[in-house]
Amino acid sequence: MKKPSAACVGSPELRDFLAGTLRGFSLKYYPSAAAFLKAPPARGLAVVEASLPDMAGRDLVAVLRGDRKTAGLLLVLVGGGPYSPAAAALSLENGADEYFSFPPDSTLFRARLLNLLGRAAPGARLPEKPAEYSFGALRISPEARAASVGGERVRLTALEFDLLLYFLRNQGRVASRTVLLEQVWKLGTEAGTRSVDKRIEALRCKLGRFGSKIRTVFGLGYIFKL
Amino acid sequence: MNPRPRVLVIDDEPDYLRIAARIASKAGCAVVTAPAALPGVELAEKSPPDLVLLDVGLPDISGFEAARRMRRIPALARVPIIFFTVRSELDMVSEGLKLGAAGYVLKPFDPDELLRRIKAAVFPA
Repeated sequence: MKKPSAACVGSPELRDFLAGTLRGFSLKYYPSAAAFLKAPPARGLAVVEASLPDMAGRDLVAVLRGDRKTAGLLLVLVGGGPYSPAAAALSLENGADEYFSFPPDSTLFRARLLNLLGRAAPGARLPEKPAEYSFGALRISPEARAASVGGERVRLTALEFDLLLYFLRNQGRVASRTVLLEQVWKLGTEAGTRSVDKRIEALRCKLGRFGSKIRTVFGLGYIFKL
Repeated sequence: MNPRPRVLVIDDEPDYLRIAARIASKAGCAVVTAPAALPGVELAEKSPPDLVLLDVGLPDISGFEAARRMRRIPALARVPIIFFTVRSELDMVSEGLKLGAAGYVLKPFDPDELLRRIKAAVFPA
């Protein structure tokens, strides 16, 4: 019987881990996104490290998922550092089928991947983007552009919703008022940083007990941490 | 003391130009900017930078073509280029990386990610 194939895109450490864990697989190694994109496989498993020398692993996953030729790959992202639910959620949102932090528990890693491979029969439907972010009682649906706390709809303006989504997608990162103006308002700095403060205050109020998760970082801007 | 590395940012969108320039300054670099590819190539030829941050969809010629032109200029043949672009199609990414790009960053970008890539390119370990 033909061995299942797996591609490793990342560091030699990841390759060594996979060689030990995915016994029985035919493993091909690519040290960079450029090497992998020369002739990416259409099927099988690709384990991608979050930080590649030439691209963010998350970006590579989004690119592969978005292309007809490679959309059928099973994509697993492996991040560095301690496991972060936010990084995992973001990876799945970008099209990854699974997310682990390195080094994952080898038994669990193997079992999960075998499960995934078992489900991915040819022609199987591609995984859809999660329709909703859920953090305890806080739920946000990017597609429906709706947010709720404890089942109660939070009425946000379009701008407040975009602001909340920006924070969700950049959890744990300090966002300066100027960056928020540029990335959420899309206006450059003409709107003035005071309008950022006012809108954040409004968002905090509307989010109730989750409002305090948007913290002010003195002299820098804001950070959203759940 | 070594002079600060010079980064040339080429982008036609003023917002991205400003953000990328600010991140490059934060990385400890001196920044020069160009709003289109041809003036960018000209600037690079006059005074070769240590890194080029290059958008792909530019009004005059594409970022890829600009990269090819820079590669043909001996003083710019080995200057690292990081593409930063909204173009996330596999063929585009593949073409950019085939041009020998040091990085390919999708917009909207994570500022920390861009900062890391700039530092890695101008201060290699």
